[in-house]
Amino acid sequence: MVWKIILFILMCFVIITGISFPIVEHPQGWMQFPIIPGLGEKAKIIFFHVPTAWLSVLAFLMAMVYGVRYLRKKNLDDDAKSSASLQIGMVFCVLATITGSIWAKFNWGTFWNWDPRETSIFILLLIYGSLFALRSAVENEDKRARLSAVYSIIAFLTVPFFIFIMPRIMLGLHPGSLEIDPNSGKVIQGTSPVVDFKMNGNMRLVFFTSLAAFTILYFWMWKIRSRAIIIKENLSKKLI
Amino acid sequence: MEGGLVGFLEKNSIYIVLAIVLVVWTGIFLFLLNTDKRLKAIEKELKEK
Repeated sequence: MVWKIILFILMCFVIITGISFPIVEHPQGWMQFPIIPGLGEKAKIIFFHVPTAWLSVLAFLMAMVYGVRYLRKKNLDDDAKSSASLQIGMVFCVLATITGSIWAKFNWGTFWNWDPRETSIFILLLIYGSLFALRSAVENEDKRARLSAVYSIIAFLTVPFFIFIMPRIMLGLHPGSLEIDPNSGKVIQGTSPVVDFKMNGNMRLVFFTSLAAFTILYFWMWKIRSRAIIIKENLSKKLI
Repeated sequence: MEGGLVGFLEKNSIYIVLAIVLVVWTGIFLFLLNTDKRLKAIEKELKEK
């Protein structure tokens, strides 16, 4: 119960500060965020959009961990947990795509720009989407669990590349991407304010609190979902 | 223009958004809490049978 209260308070803190703290030219008070040229108020998306993307990575990681556990112990409860994590990961992956897309319309001009990060999340959606097709195509429980565990391991091997490496070694619009130096015409580490996104102390505090709150939320949702799946399996066994 | 809280909210509409988001979050939180409780009850029932 304690961590549920902590989650509620942390999330309220993130919502209150993330939405209402003003963005000003020269932040002085503790309740002001610095302006990022080219973003303005839209910079606040970072408190809500990035945690959804982070959760999908975390969820896919946990799906892989429980996939490995299933392969070692052959306990179907582990498969239920892996499957629950996959579902939540997919939900947050879609949410990250939608929130990013809405934001992109107003900041980059179109809903979809094929920026490296947009491309990579699209491929991730395809990879993990096909895992659900695979799961629903196999009727035998053990076979389904084994296939799904192996697939989730292989699928997760691509995640670090798509999330952490590819967007950082290509030209792009997201923070952390490379860009072309207008003077020399060479590809350099991004320096324009939008790509070289700098947070001040306040912003970083809210950002990491948000990550923590969303992480707790994920673990709670995961627990609920996997318990529901396990109950359903136990019930169907009893009925047979 | 009215004074007081209503007037303040009319001038700073971001706080209305803030209030709405807080209400939404509270709703989601209570829903999750409720689902958790229900699951616990079902698990207990299943164990007893």
